[in-house]
Amino acid sequence: MTRTVLIIEDEKLIVVSTQMVLEAAGFRVESANNGEDGLAKARAATPDLILLDIMMPGIDGWETLTRLKRDPATSRIPVIVFTAREHARGHQRSADLGAVDYFRKPFEPDELVELVGKYAGESAN
Amino acid sequence: MTAIASLMDGVVYTDPAGNVALLNAVAEELVGARSLVAVGKRLRDLTGRPELLQAIGADLGRMAEERETTRTVEVHHQLKDLIYVRCTTSRVHDHRGRPAGAMTVLRDVTDEFKTDQLRNQFLSIVAHELRTPLTGIKAFATMMAKGALGALAERQQRACDSIREQALRLEHQIDKLIKLGTLDVAAYGQQKEDFAAKDLVAGLLAPFEEPARDRRIALTLAVEGGEALLHADQHDLRRACQSLIENAVKFGRDGGKVAVVIERRGDGLRFRVDDDGIGVDPRYHRRIFEKFFQVEDPLTRHHGGAGLGLFVANGIVEAHGCRIEVESRLGQGASFAFDLPMTVTRTPEADDRAVVTEEDKP
Repeated sequence: MTRTVLIIEDEKLIVVSTQMVLEAAGFRVESANNGEDGLAKARAATPDLILLDIMMPGIDGWETLTRLKRDPATSRIPVIVFTAREHARGHQRSADLGAVDYFRKPFEPDELVELVGKYAGESAN
Repeated sequence: MTAIASLMDGVVYTDPAGNVALLNAVAEELVGARSLVAVGKRLRDLTGRPELLQAIGADLGRMAEERETTRTVEVHHQLKDLIYVRCTTSRVHDHRGRPAGAMTVLRDVTDEFKTDQLRNQFLSIVAHELRTPLTGIKAFATMMAKGALGALAERQQRACDSIREQALRLEHQIDKLIKLGTLDVAAYGQQKEDFAAKDLVAGLLAPFEEPARDRRIALTLAVEGGEALLHADQHDLRRACQSLIENAVKFGRDGGKVAVVIERRGDGLRFRVDDDGIGVDPRYHRRIFEKFFQVEDPLTRHHGGAGLGLFVANGIVEAHGCRIEVESRLGQGASFAFDLPMTVTRTPEADDRAVVTEEDKP
């Protein structure tokens, strides 16, 4: 069964490039360009995994993560925090808030596919 | 007294019983307590700025095992909002070497602290702005190079491989930039343990042997008291020592010599690195320990580096209650040295008792 990954990220370039990498590996990709939209899509599409950016306009990644984990409809979806910026104790903080992993941009495409596969289950390929 | 009263730094002196014996005007202003009221009382019984009084009180408590401690305290100030005060507490001994209380020097480092904070924020934002486009470049180039977007002609393949390679290089540079910006001196010396001085020097020269050989520099090591126990964060202390050696080799003279020495000094050991290279103008002897400081103009310099080696080394050595001393003149080589943090086998009280026992002997 094809696994779905939801990318919550405001940078279009990151969305497009991540999508290309994941689709080539056989994942289906949905995207949302802000936290609010991401929360709505997470409830509607119930993806197998969420890739979540931290620095976004509106509600940021930390707040989005908190709300995802508070909502019973989305709390069980594994979330990988996906960031380009050094955050003080970011790794610890994302773990404390319930994320399964913490991943740095720019990512290595093969590593991203491997990590996504690990938490979302194997892709169709 | 007058000299202390007119200092720019705050000074608090506490007697061996832990009571305040002296508080100059700057210290009064910083801790928020009047000398008239404070003298003769314990610090923790004073009313003033609690963050600062508690921090100094805690450092005084550590004087049994540390010779000197330094920390920066965030203080709420009614008029100036938040200020940052660097507190350096050191043991004081009388002429017979017995404990005679402790001296704390307070300095308002708010400007320095804020500049540093800004610099870190700036670097972090720059990193984000650079990494975002790089993420796209790297992902696309990788996918193309792997043929995931269709088969490539040989020249196209080479171009894609090259784009990917350059992207990786850029990423590495950005990472380095960020690492420089987020150096946190407060994080040094966290894992102190006891180990023999000879463990510190094992393999210490290895990274510099090749660069030294390339420039015909005789790199030597001589160790006294290798069995003596140090009390330090071994990883950090090695880094500090290596940073001094690296500098000595870097600024050494082609065909010259760099001598790394551990020697006895009083009851303890001293680490020293001597070179016969270009040396440091005495007017820079303090500034060379500042973050990013370099004697050379960064645009025309011959020596690489970011101006952080001595800053980091000094941060580490200070976190162990010691200080790096430099002796050098321009063109006449340099000598950098610091007392190694030794394991304190007896507390000052135990010392006193030991003396009594000695005298009690028939």
